[in-house]
Amino acid sequence: MDQILSQTEWKKGSAEMLILSLIEARPRHGYEISKLIEQRSGGAVRFYVASLYPLLYRLERRGWIQGRWVEKSGQRRRRYYRLTRQGRRVLASQLRGWREFVAGINRITEAENA
Amino acid sequence: MPDWKPQILRRVARLNLVPTREAEIVDELSQHLEDRYQELLASGQSEDAAFRTSLDELKGEDLLASGLKPVEKAFYREPIVLGKASRNFFESVPYDVRYALRALRKSPGFTAVAVLTLALGIGANTAIFSIVDAVLLRPLPFKDPSKLFMLNESLKSIGFPEVPASPPDIVVIERTQKSFTSLGAFQNKDFNLSGGGEPEHITAARVSASIFPMLGIQPLFGRTYTEQEDKPGTHIAVLSYGLWQRRYAGRPNIVGQIMGLDRLPYTVIGVMPKNFQFPLPGPKDNNEPAELWVPMAFTPDELQGWGDGYNYGVLARLKPGVTFNQARADAALVTAEIKRVYPPAMVKLLGATPAVGLTPLHQAVAGPVETILLVLMAAVGLVLLIACANVATLLLSRAASRSKEIAIRTALGASRMRLICQMLTESFVLALAGAVLGILIAFWGTSGLLSLVPSSLALPHSASLGGWVLAFVATVSCLTAVVLGSAPAFRLSSVHLQGSLQESGRSGTPSRARHRLQGIFVAAEFALAMILLIGAGLLIRSFSKLLETSPGFRPDHVLTMSLPLPFEGYSNATQVRQSYQQAIERIASLPGVKSVAASNDLPLGSDDHEVLQVEGRPGSTPAMTVTWALGDYFSTMGIPLIEGRFFTPEDRIGSQPVAVINEETAKLLWPGEDALGKRLGHPFPNMMRTVVGIVGDVNDGPLGSKPGPHFYLPYFQLPDDYIVYNNFIIPINLIVRTSSDPASLTSAVVARIHSLDPGLAVAKIHTMDQEMASSVAAPKFNTFVLGLFAFLALFLAAIGIYGVLAYAVAQQSHEIGIRMALGAQRRDVMRLILVRGARLALAGLAIGTLAAFGLTRLMASLLYGISASDPLTFAAVAIVLLAVALLACYIPSRRAMRVDPMIALRYE
Repeated sequence: MDQILSQTEWKKGSAEMLILSLIEARPRHGYEISKLIEQRSGGAVRFYVASLYPLLYRLERRGWIQGRWVEKSGQRRRRYYRLTRQGRRVLASQLRGWREFVAGINRITEAENA
Repeated sequence: MPDWKPQILRRVARLNLVPTREAEIVDELSQHLEDRYQELLASGQSEDAAFRTSLDELKGEDLLASGLKPVEKAFYREPIVLGKASRNFFESVPYDVRYALRALRKSPGFTAVAVLTLALGIGANTAIFSIVDAVLLRPLPFKDPSKLFMLNESLKSIGFPEVPASPPDIVVIERTQKSFTSLGAFQNKDFNLSGGGEPEHITAARVSASIFPMLGIQPLFGRTYTEQEDKPGTHIAVLSYGLWQRRYAGRPNIVGQIMGLDRLPYTVIGVMPKNFQFPLPGPKDNNEPAELWVPMAFTPDELQGWGDGYNYGVLARLKPGVTFNQARADAALVTAEIKRVYPPAMVKLLGATPAVGLTPLHQAVAGPVETILLVLMAAVGLVLLIACANVATLLLSRAASRSKEIAIRTALGASRMRLICQMLTESFVLALAGAVLGILIAFWGTSGLLSLVPSSLALPHSASLGGWVLAFVATVSCLTAVVLGSAPAFRLSSVHLQGSLQESGRSGTPSRARHRLQGIFVAAEFALAMILLIGAGLLIRSFSKLLETSPGFRPDHVLTMSLPLPFEGYSNATQVRQSYQQAIERIASLPGVKSVAASNDLPLGSDDHEVLQVEGRPGSTPAMTVTWALGDYFSTMGIPLIEGRFFTPEDRIGSQPVAVINEETAKLLWPGEDALGKRLGHPFPNMMRTVVGIVGDVNDGPLGSKPGPHFYLPYFQLPDDYIVYNNFIIPINLIVRTSSDPASLTSAVVARIHSLDPGLAVAKIHTMDQEMASSVAAPKFNTFVLGLFAFLALFLAAIGIYGVLAYAVAQQSHEIGIRMALGAQRRDVMRLILVRGARLALAGLAIGTLAAFGLTRLMASLLYGISASDPLTFAAVAIVLLAVALLACYIPSRRAMRVDPMIALRYE
């Protein structure tokens, strides 16, 4: 992976999309989001507190996601984030762009390797 | 378990965020670190290693802050510099509003009472103001309405300072005046309308051709008529929108159709727009909005009727550039011209010639209800002041319990201005909530109130909450908020830091200054309530006096109805006399009918005045009410005979001309003499009548008006031409005295009339009891509405004094405990509280009484039979108010009495 893009640059482009897509199905709290990113990328991608939360707050400020404190019995209260209607639209357009980009890369690389 | 908060706090501290946001971030992030830590422990790491790995998530000292910095701009905290004013005054507004909402939500009881109190005050003001707006402030719905004037005449020599004009005078005015661009006459007239359905009786108006262009209102369709068409014999009519819809179902082809008016064919030439109303209600005469307009078309008889027929409204439009004073000066010239051309015989009879005067149309229309509207506006103003005082005392009590909070905020650097803004914001929020609820109350209240308005009061039947009204509500609410907020705000902002922080440890005796301020508010409430209650009390006393007044006749078991005979078919006097005679005979034979009579007018609404001559005396009598009586008039009406006799069937044409007069006439014309056998009568044609009876005085005008001189004569002795001419103008009223409920005989009576002529339209069917009720409807409405507001004021004042004392008792339970521990008796404690309450109430009563002496004079014109400073009312209201005050104090004083010294002291 390092050969294609440095992790920081890679993140910049797609971090927002990752977070949006992770909470598309159901609301999740910050720790859960960071765990899922780590697990699903097989440890290749990691978000630390210092970068995850500023990002979450920025998305919330833009109105793409909305956080809500939820208190469950026997647990400390956590802040759950859900996708807003606007966020859902943004995610759809970002995914479309991403797929086109990947398809483009694929066509180029397949042609070279054929 | 490690504490993550200091670690996170250290890293975000330099962002200097507002505390709530900072706490939120710290909370969320420490939860994250804790989750990570627990997971690492579970995976087998040592506590120490797990702690270090988790902390590594924060990535050094700076990354978190620099990541948050661009995102959290909105939550930067202004640096606190002691004594420094805020950068931007309005910046704090959203915070203050949020804070106020939170504070108010925390005490729902206080908020509910305050908002409801303000809503009542603001709602009452809005309701009355919307009526004032509709009647007094809004311009009349005509073109350039400020230029429209009503012209009237005055005949002071015979006791009429202001009457409508007479046709020959109108001609002179029109010819001589130089101030008006146009001038026209109008007169209400009833018609028997036939064709296109059952015959019916409608209110119409004869209107000069110039009136429609003068008002500047175009017909909805069709046309109005021209000067050339405004001549006798032109049978054309303009319909009102209402009549067109009601009777002709809004048929578009109505123009050109023929309708029957008093059995004569009239052609419809136009329909006026929906909201067009003329004549306007309000003035004393010719004030019924017409359903149909026909040309004025003065007859030659009318134009020759010098000194007669003062019953024609005159409307004129002022020329551009001519002032009111110039027009008045012009009217003096017109008066001189009338004097010059007046027939000498009439000048001799009237003793003078009429003078011409003018009144702005708006004043003529709104003038009669101006006093009551201003009184009501003042009343609701007082109610709002009481409501404000009430809420202000509540706020003061609250301020006391918040003095610790204020002290802490002051200690942390909040400036006095900040605190005042904060307090004012809270009262603005309260006032706004009160205004919103108040508008709702006003919305229902106005329509409720207006549905009670009797027809005798020229108030509209609906009033909209338009722009002016909403502007008024906004102004009133803002003023309310400022009044409310300022007292507690200034009290609070001068809180002594040290004192408050020390005092706050225990709820000691509340400060003297706040006590005094609350006392002033409560006393003011009582003063204001006193003024209102005296106003209402005076109206109630005056109304009950009015009801006790005898009208001079027996109104029970009497049915009346108007029976106009159309000119077509009843054009000669014999026909007319016979028809009335037959109607009376046929109705008299109905079971349940005791006697039947008829006359040109009815008590409580007589409007026909004439001047007469006494045989052998020069000059004329003052204007007298003249009644033509048919049948057993006096016994049917229940008017008592004082001396002599009533009319008999033998008093008919050809027999000796006779008259009956009332006591007032006898006293006026023959003081100290016997009036029986004396002779008086009409000068033109000269017919002297011998007085054969004297009867009791009857109220000719509304109940409570002073009975004037009254002259009765037998209808059947009227000359032929007189009967024919007047039958066209003044319909005869049938009067039926019954042995059972008079209203139940209505259909039987109408059936008997129709057996005579099925085409006759019977109108204005009333019982005399109904007439009595509608005669007092206006004062009854005034009394009810002012009484309602006074009751509201009393209620609010009672709540105010109760609230203050109850709060004082709660705050002083410590002091009371000490007093009781030192040997004070329960009775003493109760007296302590009662005396405090009574002192406040008495102070208020004293001030209120003085103010009421001054203010109630303004409503003197609304009173009957009592003076505006009626001592009985003043005393009774004071007693009621004091009793209510003591009752309101009683509950808290009972509570104080039950204070257990042990509990009160231990609690501290």
